[in-house]
Amino acid sequence: MFPTPVEKRPRATQLTYQTFLPLALILWLLPLIAVAIFSIKPGADFTNANYWGWPSSFEGFSNYGKVFFESQMPRYMLNSVLITVPTVIGAVALSAMTGFALGIYRFRANLWIFFMFVAGNFVPFQILMVPVRDLTLELGLYNTKRGLVLFHIAFQTGFCTLFMRNFIRQLPRELFEAARVEGIAEWRIFWYIVLPLMKPALAALSVLVFTFIWNDYFWAVVLTQGAESQPVTAGITSFNAQYRAAYHLMSAGSIVAALPPVAMFFLMQRHFIAGLTLGAVK
Amino acid sequence: MPIIVQGLITILIGVGGCVGYFYLSNLALDKVIFPAKETPSRRLVGAIICLIIPLGLLFFLYVGPTVFGALGIGFLALSDVSTISALLAVAVFLVATFLLFKAFNTLFPAKGSSVGDNINRANAVRPWLFLFPAIFVLGLYLVYPVVGSFWRSLFGRNPNDFVGFGNYVSLAQSPDFRISFFNNFLWAIVVPAASTFLGLLVAQLTDKLSWGNIAKSLIFMPMAISFVGASLIWKFVYANDADIGLINAVRAMFGFDNPIDVLQIPFWNNFFLMVILIWIQTGFAMVILSAALRGIPEETIEAAILDGANPWQLFFKIKVPQIMATIVVVWTTITILVLKVFDIVYTMTGGNFGTEILPSYMMDFMFRDDGRATAIAFVIMLVVLPVMVWNIIEARKETR
Repeated sequence: MFPTPVEKRPRATQLTYQTFLPLALILWLLPLIAVAIFSIKPGADFTNANYWGWPSSFEGFSNYGKVFFESQMPRYMLNSVLITVPTVIGAVALSAMTGFALGIYRFRANLWIFFMFVAGNFVPFQILMVPVRDLTLELGLYNTKRGLVLFHIAFQTGFCTLFMRNFIRQLPRELFEAARVEGIAEWRIFWYIVLPLMKPALAALSVLVFTFIWNDYFWAVVLTQGAESQPVTAGITSFNAQYRAAYHLMSAGSIVAALPPVAMFFLMQRHFIAGLTLGAVK
Repeated sequence: MPIIVQGLITILIGVGGCVGYFYLSNLALDKVIFPAKETPSRRLVGAIICLIIPLGLLFFLYVGPTVFGALGIGFLALSDVSTISALLAVAVFLVATFLLFKAFNTLFPAKGSSVGDNINRANAVRPWLFLFPAIFVLGLYLVYPVVGSFWRSLFGRNPNDFVGFGNYVSLAQSPDFRISFFNNFLWAIVVPAASTFLGLLVAQLTDKLSWGNIAKSLIFMPMAISFVGASLIWKFVYANDADIGLINAVRAMFGFDNPIDVLQIPFWNNFFLMVILIWIQTGFAMVILSAALRGIPEETIEAAILDGANPWQLFFKIKVPQIMATIVVVWTTITILVLKVFDIVYTMTGGNFGTEILPSYMMDFMFRDDGRATAIAFVIMLVVLPVMVWNIIEARKETR
């Protein structure tokens, strides 16, 4: 097999390769590992200046317990879920429809509409901030989860449509033409032929949008305030203000906030990577 | 009312609305407006739709807020519509839809030669049915704000005080703006280059490894964490204290006993902030580039080895040229992202110590001087524009 696999190279090359790669990997993940260790240390370790040493006792349960039962974190997490899930459903449903229209029908404005979606994808979101905030205020949606969901759906639809259209373009056209010749209504073609074929794209897109929305900080700060509607990314900042020098609690809080997207990533890894490559390569 | 039920109802209404819209609009198009054959159902469906539109309106204007209000779900702030005006609107719509369908009935009868035309007309309208909801929300939240932003940037701190291009002029004169513009320039060059390079390196090194997939997952992990989370983590790395900060701990280990705050070293602190974004984005670049590397035809590599290419030549002369298109895509994607990222600077230094970049500089004026903030936003837009246009041109080439 070409090129020579690592196993067949000289012993010295093999050894350096096998030691340096894990070493680099550990260095790369050191910040993450450090926070993970911090989060299971007792608070006393920090007052005794035992920052980087072995934890003097395992306090993981009480630290995470504090995060879950003595702070607003569960509230923020629930908000994040209630914002993220409807957004994912809405954006994916809308973009499946637009992707279908742009991918299958040939009409004059097709390319221009598509470019509008592409352009929407690249518009710096800062430019939207002031008008969107004013609009949200006028609609009475400021500081509500619904306002945030509505906006996220609108903003994510651009990217999702790009993704869906490219995917639908790759499906064999003969399929739809055959269905049309059979006299099947268009909405049935969409529902019974295209949607089942799009399942991998739908899964990949849902995972991707989930991570985007969960990790959004900007719009969370602009459109909401306070524990009743802010998602966890914004909540973690106020959590840290509450426990200013309690590094063990701050670390535990950060890990809890980061857990859902990371878990999502590991559970749906195949779809996630498929999604990234689908969206970008082609 | 439990919050979960509220969420479920919202989802049901959303999905039900989508499906309902989609089904009914196609039905109306095919059976009522441009029918291919005269059926009894044309009359029936027409009558139903004549009723559904005004009733839907009635629901949205009047009943909706009351019902949802009783359920504890506030609806859009439309509940202050009076009974009479709501009923009047419904009556007007009832008459209007009825007349409209009458008109369609006489204009496009499902008889003789107009049958074929009707099918063509229906097919010409159909894409717009699928597009309408997305275009509507996009218009509301994207096109209108871009125009509105530009308009707002022509006004001063007071929204009634027209200053023309005064905001832009004063921006150009401000030294802070120049610093942030220059820093943004640095970010846009260094971060995409470094992330793409590291991503390519990792993708190549782990390509033929038995545990390569695990290594890739681990390197990808930072990508799944939010920028805010990443900033928090890196605060521990950069902290100005040998006990907390990783860098200062390492320095102390080597015998330097005065801790330094790396985020306050002029000019170089920018690079320390960039490291965070590079750390996050390398995973993204790696995943896509490794997929591209896998896609290279094996024969070209075999041929090169048979011809006696060494590993360096193999990589730079054979592999890299073949995945150049992907590298460019990754590069531009990260560039666009960099031009928009503000979270890292905002949470790490708040833009102090000369680390300001345009998006975070804008946040300084947000809520205080909206005219100025939108002017900065427009400058960002202008900076992104070339990349955007270039991307559209590329997309166009591809579709041809």
